Amino acid sequence: MSAIVLPLVIGAAFGWTLERAGLGDARKLAGQFYLQDFTVLKVIMSAILTAMLGGFWLGRLGIIDLSAFYVPETFLAAQAVGGLVFGVGFVLCGLCPGTSCVAAASGKGDGLAAVAGLLTGVLATGLAMPVLEPLYTATALGTFTLPQLLHVSYGVVVGGVTLMALAMFLGVERLERRA
Amino acid sequence: MSAGRNLAAAALVLGAAAPFAGSPHAASRATLDIEALAAAIAAGEDHVSALQLAQWIRDRKPGLRVIDVRSPAEFAGFAIPTAENIPIEALTRAEFAAGDTVVLYSEGGAHAGQAWVLLKAKGVARAYFIAGGLADWRDEVLSPVLPADASPAAQAAFRPIAELSLYFGGAPVAGPAGSAATQMRPSSAGAELAAIRRRGC
Amino acid sequence: MTPPRPYANPYVAGVGLGLVVLACFLITGHGIGASGAFAHVATGIVAGLAPAVAAKNSYFASYLSDGLPWTAWMVLEIAGVIAGGAASALLARRFRPGIVAGPSLKVGPRLAFAFGGGAVMGLGAVLARGCTSGQALSGGALLSVGSWTFMAAVFIAGYAVAPLSRRLWR
Repeated sequence: MSAIVLPLVIGAAFGWTLERAGLGDARKLAGQFYLQDFTVLKVIMSAILTAMLGGFWLGRLGIIDLSAFYVPETFLAAQAVGGLVFGVGFVLCGLCPGTSCVAAASGKGDGLAAVAGLLTGVLATGLAMPVLEPLYTATALGTFTLPQLLHVSYGVVVGGVTLMALAMFLGVERLERRA
Repeated sequence: MSAGRNLAAAALVLGAAAPFAGSPHAASRATLDIEALAAAIAAGEDHVSALQLAQWIRDRKPGLRVIDVRSPAEFAGFAIPTAENIPIEALTRAEFAAGDTVVLYSEGGAHAGQAWVLLKAKGVARAYFIAGGLADWRDEVLSPVLPADASPAAQAAFRPIAELSLYFGGAPVAGPAGSAATQMRPSSAGAELAAIRRRGC
Repeated sequence: MTPPRPYANPYVAGVGLGLVVLACFLITGHGIGASGAFAHVATGIVAGLAPAVAAKNSYFASYLSDGLPWTAWMVLEIAGVIAGGAASALLARRFRPGIVAGPSLKVGPRLAFAFGGGAVMGLGAVLARGCTSGQALSGGALLSVGSWTFMAAVFIAGYAVAPLSRRLWR
């Protein structure tokens, strides 16, 4: 029972929060890439900071076992290329997989079109997997984190990411005040 | 935007303190009872023979987990049947149930011995390693030796070892006259405190 | 007609989103995602229409080995996203059937670009094993190099392509 209810509840909280932030609106999302609307950056970085700092401190205090959190494996080439491709598609579409569902749920036809396009793209890519396999499985580095890459402690990276994000927020606030 | 300002302040404090807080991973902060470990090592309670492991695998010992601590590439080349590949750097994050019997092995045994210390620090109750590593498996299980001039008693004692070897796809070898037969060494995993000859470590 | 409610403070919303991600990790051991749901649905479609093709394809076969696609964790999660998004929109008086597009773009081209852009994102998400939710948010919070690489690549490509797509949005 909870195997069904849990993902529904988590998804509902996810969708609710995205909509509240206005990320169901393609113009708002695309505005990030025209330096007009920085909601995307603020939401993403705030979310990362929260989950990262929460995980770090709960783990440090022994309240949770941070090693039990699944870290996605690194496939450097595939994720770099995939990211570039994704970025192109994102500017053309104005919505990402999660926000396209929110847009569709808000009655937006472009949301529905995005969902249909995403499904088509995923399906076609899956069918093309025999051709894509070399890229898909290239540079498989396994579980590879920034602390391991930079040879510094986990806490140092957490501190660094925090400072970087706060600096971004300061910069963005200044840009917005000037606009 | 005072909400944002408060959140930023909180993030700044938490983030700035992080580099000085130590590791967030519980396993990184595990403690060692070195007295107890030293006693276990001296008593030979830290390892089992390759033949003992072979017997446990064949008899499907409940809760048995055979862990290969080498790299994935080495594991793909050859591995003990039923072994799982957990490279040593991933071992600290692995989870073991309370009733598990964990047997570690590596190429020559050194890494497996180190991995044993890591598992004891993690609190694994029944952890052992193959002292001579895969070399022991190849020698004792895959190619056990029976000298050509073995006595009938020795031949009888060798029979279960030969069966075990065949079970794992090995082949007993006829050794030169006068050489020593491969023996089922007494199990150090248990009450017996026998002095065990160790190869490499 | 009463005007729609204003959007929430993005920092507050971001923290809320981060707490959802954290809660997901605490409860399930993994992060949230979105593109995975599309992969499950695509697998279900291919398996339904051409089971032999699905079985021989390494990508679809790996999803099939996880069990029934229609009740996969991520599919149920996406159903939740739709429900939660709809609820929020309705309560904020933002539920309005229509199309969101740049001021000079007509409906037809907008839908075409939404579909086409979506298809391109589908390719990217499959290659990267995730999207902004699964990789950038969840993997990013756990400092995965691949996730941060993905995120950086998305922003780099986005800013590079944006000037060429002005007519879509400005």
